[in-house]
Amino acid sequence: MSETPTILLVEDDPQIRELVAATLEGEGYAIVEAGTAAQGAVEAGACKPDLLILDLGLPDRNGINFIRDYRIWSAVPILVLSARSQEISKVTALDAGADDYLTKPFGVSELLARVRALLRRPAAEREQLEPTIEFGDCRIDCVRRQVTRAGEPLHLTDIQYRLLILLASNPGRVLTHRQLLLQIWGGRAVENNQYLRVYVGHLRQKIERIPAQPQHILTEIGVGYRFQP
Amino acid sequence: MSVRKFLPALLVSVGLTLLMLPLQETIDLSNTALLYVLVVVLIGSRYGRGPAIATALLSALLYAHVFVPPLFSLAITEVQYLLAAVVMLVVALLVGHLTASLKSQAEQVQARETQARALYDLARHLSAAQTPVEVEEIASRFLGTALQAIHTRILPESAFAAPPPPLTAALLQSALAGRHPLLSAGGDPRHTLALVPLIAAGPPRVLACELPATQAGDTATRELLETASSVLTVALERTHFAEVARETELRRAAESLRSSILSALSHDLRTPLTVMVGLADTLALGKASPERQKSMLGALRNQALSINQLVTNLLDMARLRSGNLELNEAWQPIDEVIGATLQQVRTHWKDREITLDIPSGLPPLRFDAVLVERVLWNLLENAIKYSPADTPVELVVRRFGEWLDVMICDWGPGLPADGGEELFGLFRRGQAESSIPGVGLGLAIARSIAEAHGGQVLAENRMGGGACFRLRLPLGSAPTLSDLEDET
Repeated sequence: MSETPTILLVEDDPQIRELVAATLEGEGYAIVEAGTAAQGAVEAGACKPDLLILDLGLPDRNGINFIRDYRIWSAVPILVLSARSQEISKVTALDAGADDYLTKPFGVSELLARVRALLRRPAAEREQLEPTIEFGDCRIDCVRRQVTRAGEPLHLTDIQYRLLILLASNPGRVLTHRQLLLQIWGGRAVENNQYLRVYVGHLRQKIERIPAQPQHILTEIGVGYRFQP
Repeated sequence: MSVRKFLPALLVSVGLTLLMLPLQETIDLSNTALLYVLVVVLIGSRYGRGPAIATALLSALLYAHVFVPPLFSLAITEVQYLLAAVVMLVVALLVGHLTASLKSQAEQVQARETQARALYDLARHLSAAQTPVEVEEIASRFLGTALQAIHTRILPESAFAAPPPPLTAALLQSALAGRHPLLSAGGDPRHTLALVPLIAAGPPRVLACELPATQAGDTATRELLETASSVLTVALERTHFAEVARETELRRAAESLRSSILSALSHDLRTPLTVMVGLADTLALGKASPERQKSMLGALRNQALSINQLVTNLLDMARLRSGNLELNEAWQPIDEVIGATLQQVRTHWKDREITLDIPSGLPPLRFDAVLVERVLWNLLENAIKYSPADTPVELVVRRFGEWLDVMICDWGPGLPADGGEELFGLFRRGQAESSIPGVGLGLAIARSIAEAHGGQVLAENRMGGGACFRLRLPLGSAPTLSDLEDET
């Protein structure tokens, strides 16, 4: 990653493009703007961005297909902008390889928080060589497969442990129900959302202070879960 | 007329003659004549006029030849025998004729009755028909049984340009111009095309079918076609008016909804927009103090968010009202969606106290999380907006038999005296003009969503003041989770 992170912004509405670009430039990022998917694809190859911000409703191409094509050759994080009442398209975008989404209208602070989290991620992935993850008063020791809370060991089942590791190693990122099911149970379970909800419930009982008002495993309604350290 | 009908006439006359031959001595000549007349009556009643006359003539000949002296000769010597033979012939002819007429009349009555019954059935079936397609089906069934008609169709004028063969546009047009059934040779020699105009209110139509060529020209067939077509015309007219009435009702409902939306938008959208324009202009002047600028910017943001809330509600309502709402249901615990909703509510109203009372060990419910989140959000938003800022909002979950209730209670002014049922209407608000932003869609949306889940939203006043809104969802029987269980 260079000194100044470059962000490619693909958005057809000039006012939103202007707003997002101005906000991010104000934070010291270098912004490359594109108004169409075609232009976006060209710029993505030319400017080698550190983050891609993509509007799902582009005039010339379905944003989902854009993500699929882009993911073939690039692992650069993608932040999707979508309109409300499009839960399905959010899920599809995330399943296609997007890393996070923002629903319009979004606040500037929300936008900046997401951008910072996504730009931090490559570094976080390197740090994962460090075999412990800490959040709140919990500590996961990946080598000894031990989880402690306030120093006390927690007894997690195999699946609870795998679920926790998967969520905790993707901090700030939305994992869809499908992605979680696929990685924990394998292909046979992708339609069984209810299992996932039950296990997330059990896990929250063990790691959250108030399970009904979780601080770490947050529900993204209709989409999936987001882990917040 | 078939020759086969005359065969019994011949057989019976000859048979009777052979039967009587041995008894010639014992039976009186006049009784023999009477037996011949009886045979004529029998034949006439069974086979009709022609065979009866043939039997009468043959019987007279046989009688004269075999029984009248001199025997086995047509010659009649005595006048009284001649008289008897002639009288027998006349009586036989007369009786045969009468019997045959009676038979054909009885047959006609029978046919009429069958037809009347079929027409009655047609009318009865048509009374239940709602659409022209159903009318066509019933007509097809009726003409199929009554007239052995095939390929029965009812074509509106709009389909004349390219009718299914062997129909042609010209044929259909000329059928429409005439008043009576139009017959035309079809493509197939065994069938005749029959076309009947059906002129009623609404688009004119033509009834077209193919009849067996042998009976297409009958008066009875034509009459039946005409009667059936008048019954069909009435049925089509009725479906037309039913359709018109339905469309008018839909248009009226859409019209009233549209005017409610427009009036709501004109008031509730213009107010925040006016504030926003004013704030932006004042800020552009740059004369306000930095603190004031900051609070104005905050107000600008709040106004924009309230417009967003309004638009969200309008879109939700449109989606719910469009009628093709698909529930994305799954078994899930209610606490999860409550937690997620509260998380969002707290980002909007940071300082408001919300107390939770959720018992543990609740069974999962089957619902669409995104929609139930809308219900909870709307109920919490109402409770927060319509009660004093320093009072807590209480969220309580309870199980009542087969139902799970999520109650959201406040310490506000409570519901109006009539129980608050009015509040669930579209664009209804507790007070028509209020400084609290909103258009009165929230509760209507909440109720629509709850009903789509087989549940309801109820409103009640609580003891000691304040209102309680209750989202009630059916528990159902959750599937047991076993096959993916790991060791605990």
